[in-house]
Order: sequence, then structure tokens, then C-alpha cells
Amino acid sequence: MRPGEDRRIPAARIFVLQVAVVAGFVLLAGTFWFFQIIQHEQFREMAENNHQRELVLRAPRGVLYDRNGRVLVENRHSYSVSIVRPFTNDIDRTIRLLAAVAGVEERRIRDAVARGMAQPAYRPIVVIQDASLAQVAAIMARRLDFELPDVVVERVPTRRYPTDSLAAHLLGYVGEASERQVAADGLRPGAIVGQAGIERTHNRELMGTDGVRTVVVNSMGREIRHLDEVPPTEGRRLQLTIDYDIQKAAEDGFKALGFWGAAVALDPRTGEVLALVSLPAYDPNAFATGIDVATWNALNTDKLRPLQNRAIQGRYSPGSTFKIVVAVAALEEGLVTPDFKVRCDGGATFHGRYFRCHLKGGHGVVDLRHAIEKSCNVYFYTLGNMLGVDRIHKWATRMGLGVKSEIDLPNEVEGIMPSTEWKQRRFGERWYAGETISVAIGQGQVSVTPISLAVMMSVVANGGIRFAPRLVRAYDDGDGWRPMDPPPVLERFTFKPTTTAAVRDGLWLAVNGAGTAGRARIPGLDVSGKTGTAQVISLRGRAAARGSDRDLRDHGWFVFLAPRDNPEIAGVIFGEHSEHGYSTAPIARHMIATYFAKKRGEPLPAFTAPGLPAPTPPVEEVPIDDAPVSDTVASAAVGR
Amino acid sequence: MFDRRLYFHLDWLLIGAILVLSVMGVTMIYSATQSTAPRLYLAQLYALGLGLAAMVVILSIDYRTLADKSHLLYLGIILLLLYVMFFGAVRGGARRWIPLGAFNLQPSEFAKLVVALVLAKFYGESRRHVPTRGDLAIGAGMVAIPFLLIARQPDLGTAVTLIPIFLFVAFVAGLPMRMLGILAIVAVLAAPVAWAFALKDYQKERIETFINPYKDPRGAGYQQIQARITVGSGGLTGKGFRQGTQGQLRFLPVAHNDFIFSAWAEERGFLGVLAALGLYLLVIWRSLEAARLSKDRLGTFLVLGVLASFTFQVFYNITMSAGLAPVKGLTLPLMSYGGSSLIATLMGFGLILNVRMRRFTN
Repeated sequence: MRPGEDRRIPAARIFVLQVAVVAGFVLLAGTFWFFQIIQHEQFREMAENNHQRELVLRAPRGVLYDRNGRVLVENRHSYSVSIVRPFTNDIDRTIRLLAAVAGVEERRIRDAVARGMAQPAYRPIVVIQDASLAQVAAIMARRLDFELPDVVVERVPTRRYPTDSLAAHLLGYVGEASERQVAADGLRPGAIVGQAGIERTHNRELMGTDGVRTVVVNSMGREIRHLDEVPPTEGRRLQLTIDYDIQKAAEDGFKALGFWGAAVALDPRTGEVLALVSLPAYDPNAFATGIDVATWNALNTDKLRPLQNRAIQGRYSPGSTFKIVVAVAALEEGLVTPDFKVRCDGGATFHGRYFRCHLKGGHGVVDLRHAIEKSCNVYFYTLGNMLGVDRIHKWATRMGLGVKSEIDLPNEVEGIMPSTEWKQRRFGERWYAGETISVAIGQGQVSVTPISLAVMMSVVANGGIRFAPRLVRAYDDGDGWRPMDPPPVLERFTFKPTTTAAVRDGLWLAVNGAGTAGRARIPGLDVSGKTGTAQVISLRGRAAARGSDRDLRDHGWFVFLAPRDNPEIAGVIFGEHSEHGYSTAPIARHMIATYFAKKRGEPLPAFTAPGLPAPTPPVEEVPIDDAPVSDTVASAAVGR
Repeated sequence: MFDRRLYFHLDWLLIGAILVLSVMGVTMIYSATQSTAPRLYLAQLYALGLGLAAMVVILSIDYRTLADKSHLLYLGIILLLLYVMFFGAVRGGARRWIPLGAFNLQPSEFAKLVVALVLAKFYGESRRHVPTRGDLAIGAGMVAIPFLLIARQPDLGTAVTLIPIFLFVAFVAGLPMRMLGILAIVAVLAAPVAWAFALKDYQKERIETFINPYKDPRGAGYQQIQARITVGSGGLTGKGFRQGTQGQLRFLPVAHNDFIFSAWAEERGFLGVLAALGLYLLVIWRSLEAARLSKDRLGTFLVLGVLASFTFQVFYNITMSAGLAPVKGLTLPLMSYGGSSLIATLMGFGLILNVRMRRFTN
């Protein structure tokens, strides 16, 4: 030590420094202990979120086949372009560049991003659905240049409907799950779900299970390697009860005749739906990759209402087809036998009011078979008067009218089958016996859906069993086909053999005798059926509506079963504004001919235009004074 | 040249700790740069060799001789800093380096040693027990010149490390406690003035971000958040050599340099952190011992001056690597990548060992 140096201050202060340094290191160690031990789990997760991405591998939806194994709905690959926000530096720049590279409108991408902003940030926002290969190539080139680090291109399975608009309402369409669906069904936002038809009713099974691929990405978003992959499971395959050829026969028929409308064909022995048509239709392919606003608006505002499934959602007056129900009711209640005769002079008076038949001169003396054949109003006025509205209601309900058919399609509506109880509930008024007379020929408040008339014909065809129509025969979860459970039987009673025979005879005569349905005749096949007309507007209303652009022409019905003995096919054709029931009978004929040609292994027939002249006697309008009002459409029926 | 006695008085424990820390640094650099610059760790190894050689050279010269020549060294470093100011190589917007072919020399790293030498000499040779205000002003002035030159490069981080040199030396030299209080008050008052006039926008942004990193997690707050994730995700035992995800996949920027301690914490875990902290504490503790044992005030102040910037940087960098200090370009001495820094640090320890080794000689 040098003389004169005082070392006391430095020694003390060095000690202070030593203490301070030790304290500082203890503090640092404590900090790291806190982060690395206490909060480790939270930071481990954050690090994992940083470098691990879970990519959803979308499961292909189940393929749908027709009853003969023909593919009705399948999947194709499409490319979707998404923005992954955690890798975005400047969203505006990304949007501008992407729009320029892909050649799409900037606004479209901006809208998609705006919609996706509410979702968690790690979820990619799909901005271009079903990108073209040229777009994909252009985007991938920019990605490699690090210009679009936040853009990913994914290959996703997409629904394809190879038959385009065929059976569109039956098959339905898919679309992105709405917020409500996401909440209700616990779906992943952005999931593709069935929004209509079978796609919707069987959505759960068809969806399958999405897979997940876990990848490691670097800070530029580039995939470095795979960690794990759970492959997607394809959705359940369904074999439908639909026969492509019969479905096509029906749609071809409508096209050839130039009508819109609906058709349903059932196998009365099993309740299987062979065809279900609603026209005009839409192309479900347009929905598969996200329908654009213009198309959607056009479909929604179209006066022809192409999105409506007329077969299960259209309510119309049944007209003369309802006489079949009245005949069954009277026979089953034991009020009459098939030989019960009524004299028709062109009209009759009931409860102080004169009701006309459609044939001015009258049909003369007719029994039940010929009353059906000729659709004699006076005969069914008489039966209706004997039955009363409540017994008509009972039998109509048993045969499926005024109730839902319980087909496995969404948003089915029911028709109206009046009764005294119904009128009291609905209008708070008592039923007048005179109203029953109109009901007996399918007028007044009665309204039906096409499918319910098809069910009614199926009950007539099988002698008293009402099945819930079913659309799916078998399913395959990837381990082979298994049959579906048989459809529930909603009503089972056995008609008296005489009832069945008499009604079927009448229907056979309507087609093969002097009836109105000659255009459905096929030699050797004993096609049986009945026409009906649903008045769109009363005569009085017609005068008032003259000059408006509403289509006021009547709707035509044709209900059928074939062959008369042991029927194998039963159904209905509804021709919108086809004016007469017989106009659409050729469609039924073509469907039936196709069915039997297939069954016998013969070549399928081509649709031929009707060769017969309009049936005689010429049909006249019956003036209806009190225009009945049904739920949706002002419609009335005129017996033919 | 070496006396046998001197050899026995070398602090081998300190040398061992320094070497272990340097090698840990090299392995971490190797791990962090394998995918980007696989040969970078070799540059660090060369620097380590050079640094050790420089350390031996410094050990061979009596620190008193060096202190006697310190005014020349001071003049030299000022000239070098002026040279950098006009002719230095520009990288990342800053003019800090003198390109020398194979490597770049960063004079500011060596300025710390020279400042420690001149301050030690100035206060060590003072006859007064307690420095006067005039002494303090002169010392502050000697620090201020290189400080301003380095801050202008701009390299505020390195410039700031000069301040602890003055404070440590002045403190141990006997700075009155009253003066310490005044300095503290001045610092507090100067902060808003510095905020308004002295700091550049990017520097302000860093401080704002430090206070709330989640305000801008993709931008300015990114590094701080990622640093904390990197450290926290390491856990007790770490993810393993070259298994770190934050550093390897470059979520954490400059994992081989400013954030090397975060990367170390990620791959080696809390146990690795304790080992590194223990070694740094050992190095600082043994150096303070050297300061206490020094036979003269010159030696004490020299050790403290050298140790001051080292300790400051260690504390600041490790705090920053846990995301608890504003992000600043301050490296971790001994471990971070950087040849000039490593060589200068090793030369500094050469001075410290020198003082301890010669505590019995005259």
C-alpha cells in the first residue's frame, strides 16, 4: 500500500457493490424462475401457437347414389385462397396485391376479409373460393417471392352435382354454416353444411369428420415440417330410393310439355320415393363454392320461386282428386256399397242451395265406379252430405291429407283438411252443412301438398298402409352397405277388399274408359288415375284481376297408380297453370312406362307428346260464387 | 517476462469462468445460426483466440505502465472514433465500424477500456481522499467526449455503457453521498428533457413499446413479447441443443447476438440460466475481490472501471432478454456474437487479472 492512501472508503464501497451485485443476480434468477417455472405452461403454449399451425383437412362429404348405384352427388377438388392474419404485415397491401395477381375485384376480397375479421386471428379467411389453376399459379409464384407471406392456397373437396339441376330440391345444396348453425350444432365456423334437401336432413352423417394436419412454420409462415396428421374421414355414403331414370323421365316430360310444377312417385309397397320433382329448379353447383350475391338475389326474387320445393311446400286445392278420399270414406264407413247409384241431372239442391255438376246435361244414373270415371259432382255431393265433414276429415287424415307426410326433407308444410273442430278453432264459427258439399269435391277450404296426394294414392294402392315416404335405402360408413331401417308406418288399417277394388276400378276406367285421363293410358299396364283442377282464382276474382300480369290459369292435377292390381308405383303430377289435369297425364305415363321398361329390361322409352285429342265432353267452368280462400294461394277447385 | 510468482498469483478460477462462458456463447451461436450462417461460430472462435492472445499481451505489461500511457491511448481512441465518424463502414443505418479486410473493427468497444484507464489514473493519482467537484467535472468531461462521439454514430447503447464506468469509479473513489443524491435528482429531471430533445423517434418508440408491448404486438412490441415467450417456453430443462423453436424458426430476432441469453434460456432451460448467472456472478465477484486486494488505488479504480461497463451490460442484456427492459442494441459480453466485443472484453479481464496478479509487486 502506498503511503498516505486511505483504503477504508474504497473497501466499504466495494462491499456495498458486492452486496448489490449478489442481490441483482438473485433478482434475475427469481425473474427467470418466475417465467420459466411458474408461467412456463402459458409461455410453452404461446411458443407452440407461434410455430405450430393446425390446418383443417376438410372431409369429403358422403357421396349420394340413386337406387341403382348411379352417382347423383359427388366431390371434386377446388382451390381456395385464404389470408392468414398472424403473418400479415399490411392487410391493405396484401388485398391490393392479391386482387391484382388473381385478377379479381379488390372489393370482393375486402368484403370477405371484413366478414372474416370477427373470427379468431389464427383462422384463415377464405377470400377466393374455387380459384382457377391460373390464379393458383400466379399466387404461388408471388408467395415464393415472399410478397404474399400471409396467403395460403388450399385444396378442398367441393360438392359436385353431375346431373346439374336434376332433383335439385330433393338433393338440396351446401353452403357455409350460418352463425346460428355454428352455435346450435357446435360446428367449426366456415364449415360447409347442407342447407336444403337431403344435404340438410342428413347433414350430420354426410359431413364426415375433418382431419387436422399440424405443421411447423417459421416466422415467415413457411411450412418447415409436419408434426402430425389426422386424416379426414369421408362422410357416410347414402343410397337413395330415387331412380335416376324415373326422375329424369318426369323432368323430361315437364320440359317437353313446357310446364312448371311438381311430381312425386312412390313405391306403395315400401314407402320409397322413386322420384320427387319440383320445377323450376336451380343448379346446386352454384352454391357449392359459395354462391355470389347476384345469383342468390336473382333466385330469391324470381317470381317463379325456383327455391321453393313445390312437392312439399306448395299448397293447392286438390280438386276432383279429393273424390277418391270421399269414395273410400263412404265405403269404409259402410254408408254405401259400390253399387250405390245416384241420378245426375246436371246439378242438385242441398241445404237449400243448388250445386252444379260440370256436365250441364248431367251424367244420368251412375254407380261409384262410373262416378269416379266421369268425376260426377252430384254423386260426391251426395256421398259428402251423407258422411258429414268430420267423417271426411277422419278418412282424409288417415290417408295423409292435411298432415305432414314426414318425408325426411326439411321445411315440409301441411295442407288443410277442414272439420267442425278446425273451423271453430280457426274462425270461431260453427260449421254449416252446406259447406260440406263443396268439400266433397275438393273445394272450399281443402288444400293439399303434392306429396300428400301421392301418399293418399299410395294408401289406395296398398290397401290401407300409410308409410312416411323415405328417401334413403342404405348407407355405407366405409365398411360396406347396410340397409336403413324400414320407414315408420304412420297408419295401418285394412280397407275392405270391395273398397279397394271399386276405387281402383273407377280410377282404371278414368284412364282406360270414358274418363278424362286417357292420355295416361299404356296398353297392357292398367294405369289407373284421376285428373283434377285447382282453380287459381274464382270467376268473380278473375274479373277483378283482369289486366294484371298475374298468371290466372288453373293448375292441373293427375294422381295415378299402376298397375291396377298389385300396384307398384303410385304418385302425383302437379302442373302449375297447366289449366287441365289431363295436360300433365302424359308425364305420369312416361314415368310409368320408364318404370316398367326398366323392370323388364327393355330399352327406356322416349317421351312422346300426347296423340289424343282433348277428352270429351268438353270441360266447362262451374261458376263458384263464394270464392274459397286457402292459406297461401287463392284457389278453388272445379270438378271435372 | 513472466515472473514465476506472477504466474502463481493469476486468478485461474476467474479465467476458467470466462472461458466457460465464452464457449457457452460459441455453442449457442452455433445452434442459433445453423440454418442461416453455418460458419458464423468459427468467426467467434477466431475472435476468442485473438482475445486470449491479447489478454496475455496485456498481462505481460504492468498496469501501471499502461496507466502512465493512458493519455496517449485516450488520444488514439478519440482519433479512431473521429475516423469512424467520417470514414467508417455503414451497416443498418449506423456508422460504427472500420473495415479491416477479414473483419471489422468497432473502436467503441475499446473506448470502454481506455476510459477505464484514464479515469483510474486520474482518480488513483489524486492526493485527495475524496474527489472534489472539480475532479468530478474533469472525470465527467473525459467520459463525455467519447460518449458524444459514439452516440453520434449512432450507438447510444454502447455510449451509455461509458456512464457506469464513471459512476463506479467515482463511487468507490469516495464520491460524497450528498453528490450521489444530487446526481440522482439531475438524472430524474433530465429524463423528460432527453425525451423531448435528445432521443430519436425509434428510441422513443422502443421505450413506449416497453411500457406496453401488446399495443403493437406485430410491430414494435414484437421482440419484447417474443423474448418473454422464448424464455418462458424453455421451462426447467430447456428444449435442448438446436431444438429451440423460437430461436431456430426466427420468431426471436438476432438470437445469436442481442438475444443470445433468451435463446440460451430456451434451449438450456432454467438450469442453464442458473449456470450462466452463477458464472457471471463468479466473474464479477472475483473481479471485485481483485479490486479490494489491489495494492493501490489506481488498481482498484482500474478494475472497477473495466468491471463497470461489463456488469452494466450483463445486467441490462439479461433483463432485456427476459423482455423486461426496452430493446436496445446491447450485447451480452462474452456470450454474444461480436469479435470486437469479445476481444475488448477479454483485454479488459487482462487488466483485471493484471491488477490482482501484481498485488505484491512494486
